[in-house]
Amino acid sequence: MYEAPHSTYAVSFDENNQEFSLAGSMRPQHVEELGACLQVLRSSLNVVRGTFYLNVKRLVRLNNIAFHALSSLLLKACEERPELKVSVITSSVVGWSTRKFAVLEEASANIAVEEYDSAFYPGQAFLEEGGFIPILRTQTKMTWRHEKDILPRHGMREGLSIADICCGAGDFAVLLHKQFAPARLVALDHSKSSLDYARQVVADFGVSGIEYVFGDAAEMLLDDNQFDFVTCRHSLQIFNRPERILKELYRICKPGGRIYVTNEKISHCLGEPHKESISWTYEQLARLFDHFGMDLEFGPKSRRYLMDAGLDDIRTDHFMVSSDDGDPRDFADVVKSWKVLFAGDMASRRGDDAQFIERFARGFDDHVFAALHPKGYAGWPIWVASGRKPK
Amino acid sequence: MAAMQQGEASLSDFKSLIEIDLNSGVFGSNWAHCDQISTYVARMVSHNRSDSLLYANLLSSALNELLETVFRMHRRDGSFLCAVKRRGPVDRVEITVSCQAEHLAFYRGVMNVLEGPDVAKRYRETLVAAAAPGPQVGLLELAVDYAAKLSVDEIGDGFLRLTADLALEEQTI
Repeated sequence: MYEAPHSTYAVSFDENNQEFSLAGSMRPQHVEELGACLQVLRSSLNVVRGTFYLNVKRLVRLNNIAFHALSSLLLKACEERPELKVSVITSSVVGWSTRKFAVLEEASANIAVEEYDSAFYPGQAFLEEGGFIPILRTQTKMTWRHEKDILPRHGMREGLSIADICCGAGDFAVLLHKQFAPARLVALDHSKSSLDYARQVVADFGVSGIEYVFGDAAEMLLDDNQFDFVTCRHSLQIFNRPERILKELYRICKPGGRIYVTNEKISHCLGEPHKESISWTYEQLARLFDHFGMDLEFGPKSRRYLMDAGLDDIRTDHFMVSSDDGDPRDFADVVKSWKVLFAGDMASRRGDDAQFIERFARGFDDHVFAALHPKGYAGWPIWVASGRKPK
Repeated sequence: MAAMQQGEASLSDFKSLIEIDLNSGVFGSNWAHCDQISTYVARMVSHNRSDSLLYANLLSSALNELLETVFRMHRRDGSFLCAVKRRGPVDRVEITVSCQAEHLAFYRGVMNVLEGPDVAKRYRETLVAAAAPGPQVGLLELAVDYAAKLSVDEIGDGFLRLTADLALEEQTI
């Protein structure tokens, strides 16, 4: 990693992956100011074979002087070495980036621009399809009954500056806004359809003061040390590299502020009657998610991850969302939707046979039965953990 | 007359959001002022756009190009005023600076280019040409990549006003 003194940007070259990365803000007055950066780029281009990757996902600002200097070197290399391919990786969360670098595609057939998008989110495609948003809203309604009392134990109070990262359909942010009157509330997600939904909900209900923003939790544009309280709920478990998300949560949290996460241990879902069938299905569900690079058993691992991220004063809680909370039909509706999504779509995509899927689906049916039975019980356990960013 | 009144009415529809009023020499004393002003102003006026983060990033980029152009093409004495106004989805950036005839001629020359054919092609060729791009590149970028409506007016003796109307909200949704 090269970083010029007082520089507003960082430069690095990963020789193994032939990836040259730029991050930060590059707005020089004179091209000479970029001398060291251009030297690294030049020497990187000299050692690569095949495809050279230029990663500008976190290059937030770039003026034309810097663009011209970078593009001159890339175009010269492509001209001198016709076998060299250059792949420029931009981010959809930096609005100007893809169209700016697309100029290079026009200038050289050896250069391709690829907008990094959903590859990092293996679970998102499943959740965005099939009208899952109403179920996410019901889930938030059920968990909020517990979390509104738990949150103050983790440092939540009125008047904080809060970021809700991976906010989904945005309900948790609305509930936080109503209950804790934050000074500022930014809710970020990588799903434009979820954000559209969230904005519509707050418009319909006349709620103002929540900034719903599009962003990548692993590469956020939010500045360092901004928020007193950073939440990330049910999300570390569906990323295959949760430590990258935690690094970003840590970065945007103020020293002395707290990071709050919730996750599941899905195999501990339970119910009576039919406890064996229910347990079997949720154990299989954990394995199904694991197949797609997601860890629905993450909950009890939260403490370790928060400590490894550099947080101290770790506090943990757990609670059981159950059919005894409010209307048991809400619980049943959620499980019915899980059945459709997991025993239908996901299991099919893994290639499971009909016999397995039938047994897998039956466990969900039994869980619904337990939830709605007047003498039954159905539960869904959630793990809560928070930690403080050292001052 | 009716047209003028309508013009005045639409102008007054723009609500003032923020103004940065500096001595021109102070603005021109440090290149970093372009970055600092564009970043600060963009953050201040973007919080109530539908996506505050994306909007601020785009506005900062567009405004920075305007400021860098003015930085290169301004007098070192006199005044500098950067104002941002809003009407619905459109943000209007007005930069009013002291100028000499050559500065005004430069801006008018660029406006003529913008009214001509192949502006996008010209802009892209400038970006990848062997020679470093001239000070006009930022204005071409605003017109092509940000669909800005640009104009320049001489106001009073020795002042010009560069105006950019930006409808960036559509680009963030």
